[in-house]
Amino acid sequence: MNVIEINHLTKVYGKSRGISDVSFQVKEGEIFGFIGPNGAGKSTTIRLLLSLIYPTSGNATIFGKDVVKYASEITKEIGYLPSEVFYYNNMKVKDLLKYSASFYKKDCTKRIKELAEIMELDLTKKIDDLSLGNKKKVGIVQGLLHEPKLIILDEPTSGLDPLMQQRFFDLLEKENQKGATILFSSHILSEVQRLCDRVAIIKEGKIVQVEKIRTLKENNYKKFKLETISELDFNYFKVDGVNQLKIVGKTVSFIFKGNINTITEKIANIEIANLWVEEPDLEEIFMHFYQREE
Amino acid sequence: MNMFLQELKAYQKPTIIWSISIVAIVILFMALFPAFSRDADEFMKVLEGFPEELTRAIGLTFETLTNVLGYFSYAFLYIKLCGAVQAMNLGLSIVSKETRNKTAEFLFTKPVTRTQVLTSKLLAAVTSLLFTNLLFLFSVIVTVEIVKTADYSRQGLWMIAASLFFLQLIFLGLGMFTAVFIPRVKSVISVSLGLVFAFFIVGMISSSTDDEGLRYLTPFNYVNDYYIIEHLNYEMQYIGIGLAIICLTVILSFVIYRKKDIHSV
Repeated sequence: MNVIEINHLTKVYGKSRGISDVSFQVKEGEIFGFIGPNGAGKSTTIRLLLSLIYPTSGNATIFGKDVVKYASEITKEIGYLPSEVFYYNNMKVKDLLKYSASFYKKDCTKRIKELAEIMELDLTKKIDDLSLGNKKKVGIVQGLLHEPKLIILDEPTSGLDPLMQQRFFDLLEKENQKGATILFSSHILSEVQRLCDRVAIIKEGKIVQVEKIRTLKENNYKKFKLETISELDFNYFKVDGVNQLKIVGKTVSFIFKGNINTITEKIANIEIANLWVEEPDLEEIFMHFYQREE
Repeated sequence: MNMFLQELKAYQKPTIIWSISIVAIVILFMALFPAFSRDADEFMKVLEGFPEELTRAIGLTFETLTNVLGYFSYAFLYIKLCGAVQAMNLGLSIVSKETRNKTAEFLFTKPVTRTQVLTSKLLAAVTSLLFTNLLFLFSVIVTVEIVKTADYSRQGLWMIAASLFFLQLIFLGLGMFTAVFIPRVKSVISVSLGLVFAFFIVGMISSSTDDEGLRYLTPFNYVNDYYIIEHLNYEMQYIGIGLAIICLTVILSFVIYRKKDIHSV
């Protein structure tokens, strides 16, 4: 069953980009990554799903219900953590969480305590006095206190230290095991790779690719850069899987996807002065996707 | 209910401050009445030297000024100004609050409809204004009873004083509508002060020129205190327009609010 179904969703803003013709599905019980550079349309898509903004065309359903028509019903089962958290500043953390819980017809007192303990959040402080990271923690507790069936996270890790990130991920995995579906938006590939089953890649308002993380990993993108002793024939590295090949003087660089041995063999056969092998960053993978499309 | 209480609590402090201020104006004005009525004759002579347009604009009419009711209605002009600013401010602030404080994402991702959100806000605002008006009415009745020199029409006093609530509802509606209409309200007080003073000045011009057409444009003149003192009645066509403005601004606010995109910060 699909928890989220997005069909040809388009949002046109006055000047800024918005999104166009976005379609993908999130299955029940999966952790779905939603990845793309800043300004690609991740937040726009999420805001459309939550009916904070309304689509220009296309539609989306959550739990099989139209997001515009049944927004107030759907949100009962959604926990949302925005990328930047803002709350009523003059409230205490405790009061804010109580207010948040009062929207759901459940007793969340125990759950609030549990979550606050895991995230090491001081409930007696005023929101005003909290650091960015601590505000984020309030956001996490606030998003999870009603044990939602669908958790939507918009760049959730910014501001959290590595230890807290770890705890947060553990928490998410636990929720996932209990049956929650998670939509995880991020611009950090490694984060998504760790946690997610499948991933949709968005750039400039369009979905470039929906892939299983396993496939992404199998694809095994590597960024090669090497310095040769003597100048090289341009076609030497023109094999399958090599992209963005650049040769400047004695420096060769490219992105490779596929069986790494074919490249190491190639490299073994020439004399090199230096070699760098790196994980390509997201931008470079995107470039690759674009080139393939064209 | 939780949202209503939350809003009520959020506006508790400003409501109390506004209420106290309005009561203070009442007490200040009415405390001057004994001294004023003692020297009424001399005061009148000074006033006669003023151009009639001016005295009319600031709400001074000689025939009624020596009577406590007439004197009160003079003071009431400035209480109306104060009350209008309060109501407009409240309407603007309570509706634009979520976008100004960037808490929209919190509230609108809760299982509530936009209609429920705005209804709670509207009810909380009306409750706050009711509180102010109760304190105001109480202070008026007590002070007028204390300083009165002769009998006056109780009904007239009630009718004038009660019109503050009517005026405030109009400005509450205008404030709410402005808040949903303007994409981003940066400073509540500058917008509300600007608009209220614009209406107030139009009201003064309308009073001084007796221009009937202009009178329709400013809620400040929908209730004419001197007409009430004479006829013990409201002018129904203006009450009707006031009610229409309240309904229209509130309904339009709801319509726009439901369809509005909540933009990110």
